[in-house]
Amino acid sequence: MDERPAWSAQFAPDALRTLTPVPPLDEITTGWAWGGSTGAGVKVAIIDSGIDAGHEAVGRGISGYVAITDGPLGLLQDTEPHEDSYGHGTACAGIIRSVAPDCELYSVKVLGQRLTGRGTTFAAGLQWAIENGMHVCNVSMGTTKKNFFGLLHNLADRAYFQKTMLVTAANNMPVPSFPSLYASVISVASHEGLDDPHLFYYNPEPPVEFGAPGIDVRVAWADGGWITATGNSFAAPHITGIVAKILGQHPGLTLFQMKTVLRALSANMGHAKTG
Amino acid sequence: MGREGRQREDLVRAREEISGLRRRLAQERFAEELKDALTLAASVGEISSPISHSRLLEMIVQTAASVIPSRAASLFLIDEEAEELVFEVALGSKAEEVRKFRIPLGHGIAGLVAVSGQPMAISDARSDPRQAADIARSVGYEPESILGVPLFYEEEVVGVLELLDREGAPSYSSADMATLGLFANQAAVAIEQSRARGNLAALLGEALGTAGGVPDHRREGLAEGARSLSDRMEEDAAYQRALELAALVREISRAGEEEHAACRAILEGFAGYLRSRPQDRDDLGLGDFG
Repeated sequence: MDERPAWSAQFAPDALRTLTPVPPLDEITTGWAWGGSTGAGVKVAIIDSGIDAGHEAVGRGISGYVAITDGPLGLLQDTEPHEDSYGHGTACAGIIRSVAPDCELYSVKVLGQRLTGRGTTFAAGLQWAIENGMHVCNVSMGTTKKNFFGLLHNLADRAYFQKTMLVTAANNMPVPSFPSLYASVISVASHEGLDDPHLFYYNPEPPVEFGAPGIDVRVAWADGGWITATGNSFAAPHITGIVAKILGQHPGLTLFQMKTVLRALSANMGHAKTG
Repeated sequence: MGREGRQREDLVRAREEISGLRRRLAQERFAEELKDALTLAASVGEISSPISHSRLLEMIVQTAASVIPSRAASLFLIDEEAEELVFEVALGSKAEEVRKFRIPLGHGIAGLVAVSGQPMAISDARSDPRQAADIARSVGYEPESILGVPLFYEEEVVGVLELLDREGAPSYSSADMATLGLFANQAAVAIEQSRARGNLAALLGEALGTAGGVPDHRREGLAEGARSLSDRMEEDAAYQRALELAALVREISRAGEEEHAACRAILEGFAGYLRSRPQDRDDLGLGDFG
């Protein structure tokens, strides 16, 4: 039996594939990619369970809120500040700010205490992020319902063309989960490295393209707490933070350019790249 | 309107009902699903396993907790109406106490796994104030580490399989997560089978019009619908093959324990051979899009 969770096996130390650089594309350095950028001016939406703005890990405030719920009269959008129902969104926010401390965070709350309309509220959250000019969108969740395949695929394509970069966590279970399997998103699974939040790998055999820290990660949680957690949910925000930093340095990059930059900076690239 | 007129009207209505049912059964996926459910229920019923559905789930959870050494384990099913998680299986020193609890969504790792569909492990749960602390405190048991994985049934999360307090390691590893995922799949299959049997009972009950007060024309329509479905099933080769196999297994099982063991060994050997054969589909579960 495979000893690793689904989608993460390719990032195990003995399975990692060394990439052959393609000059000059793969000669990009971190100095060029983000330099001194802290993500300032970059709008980052977190589609999740809400964000606890008061948590020490979140740091500077939240720039905007929208909570989407499915009621008897249809979808409701509430832009009043909200709390985090679980701690999951706060964990993502903390990781993103640890990498890009000055990015603007927007909390798009679609996970609450209700199960009904999960796919619909999730799709509405993505739509909100696209229509409100978000530059990056952290999606540490997804749906397995095939009847949302088309709707989410259209939204992911719209995001691609409008330069809203969707960074998605692959589901750890071996089930197809959307939108993480689309080519129009940056999909992320876990590796166990903890020393450097900026360390990630590229997988030359997608659908999951990038591996970032997601195993035994110390993360912010509900009610000001901290926990040690494992899941691809916590790998995606590392890449979201890095994408925000790169966009801070190079506003207006497209998704295909961003993937090229990320590939060049991945730790399994066959040359050193600092400076 | 005279008696004859009413009868004629009833007849017309009955015909409409029947043709409506036929259309539904013929055109919608509903027919396919129903057929699958009935086939499954019939073969399970034929083998007539002595193990009840709840005992099977309990065994799956027990095995999971011994393969991944854990002090306690639970299997929750989601009550969609109440937006709560209901204990289906609870194992461990406080199992009796926790079994009576229902957990509203918005609490703890199990709730998060249920709403997000993502497996999750945490290793210092006591420092997290929201790990269903009300339940933990009221039964005097606060876990240190938790691993939860979703149960999928027809693309939907229907429950959560959870292990508490890893023994022999400070926390649940990503390998533990993958292993528990396999047990979750087994549990989902067991749930699927029990629901298939439930469907059969419901369908037969409806078709025979056992409930009093069912209008005659409706009963006739339903009976006709059930008849046409069973006619079609009898013609279905796959259903016949499944039934024949199930009947053989039943016959051998009844012959005695040794015969049962031999039959099982032969079938397991054959299934093992089938599993080891190279497969065309990739192992990522993407066959549906290929």
